[in-house]
Amino acid sequence: MAGRAVEAAARELGVVEYASKEPSAFAEMLGGLIGANVGARSEKKRDFDTLVARVGIWVTDIEEGVTLDFNAGKLTIYNGLEPGRKITIRAEADTVLRLTNLKIGPFGMPAYYDEVGREIASKLLRGKLKIDGMLTNVATLNRVTRIFSVQ
Amino acid sequence: MAIKAFTDEWTDQLKDEVNKSSVYKAAAKGWKWTVGLVVEAEPDKNFPESRGLVMDLFDGDARGIKLGSAADAQKCDFVITAPYSRWKQVSKLELDATRGMLQGKLKLKGDLPTIVRYTKASQELTLCTSRIPTEWPDEQ
Repeated sequence: MAGRAVEAAARELGVVEYASKEPSAFAEMLGGLIGANVGARSEKKRDFDTLVARVGIWVTDIEEGVTLDFNAGKLTIYNGLEPGRKITIRAEADTVLRLTNLKIGPFGMPAYYDEVGREIASKLLRGKLKIDGMLTNVATLNRVTRIFSVQ
Repeated sequence: MAIKAFTDEWTDQLKDEVNKSSVYKAAAKGWKWTVGLVVEAEPDKNFPESRGLVMDLFDGDARGIKLGSAADAQKCDFVITAPYSRWKQVSKLELDATRGMLQGKLKLKGDLPTIVRYTKASQELTLCTSRIPTEWPDEQ
């Protein structure tokens, strides 16, 4: 299957590593997803190669989270929230996965006009999705969204 | 009348439920991969041998859902593995499958970018299993 080849290519790139010897299932899932995205798409690789930021993701309904430490072409994933984060996303598991389905629109901005985009925007407005640091780090958030997005 | 879990009759019923679901049909448009569910044995729960469900799902339809061995299920493009009691929790909607995967309670093998595009479809599949009146081996 083509997807498996993509995952294999991402592993060969060696761009994702885990701080813990026993990464959580959530950490491995995000690492696999980002590694596959970066391995498959040159535009995501460009974003990945220039991004330097610590991003936290806390999944509220399983009370687990990770810190993604992007460092210009390398990503280290920590179990749990580590200090020094620019952005922290807090949402339920389903919403976190929906974030990966945000389409990227004109000028590389996340598109909030389709079904997924409207759902995400609505959750932001209702406080079901909280993004600490969003207003002061819009460019970083957009870049992280582009790296996450499977669309 | 309740149907024994993870039997041929149960998988036939699941296929019917999936094909009846307009939600699944819309959410799984474009899906073209096989999915294997490995139900691991739990002898103490009266489920002595692992079984596999091989799901041939294509573009919003269930073309076939068959009971087989765990090895059969492991040959599919996507494989989700969990012990019997976890699948029972999922089917009874006591465990959300998405949460279960993020917690490692359900182990997923396959291309992640593909499967996360279809989270709604996988949630509806779970709901389809919950609609089958099921007789569970450990409750007999």
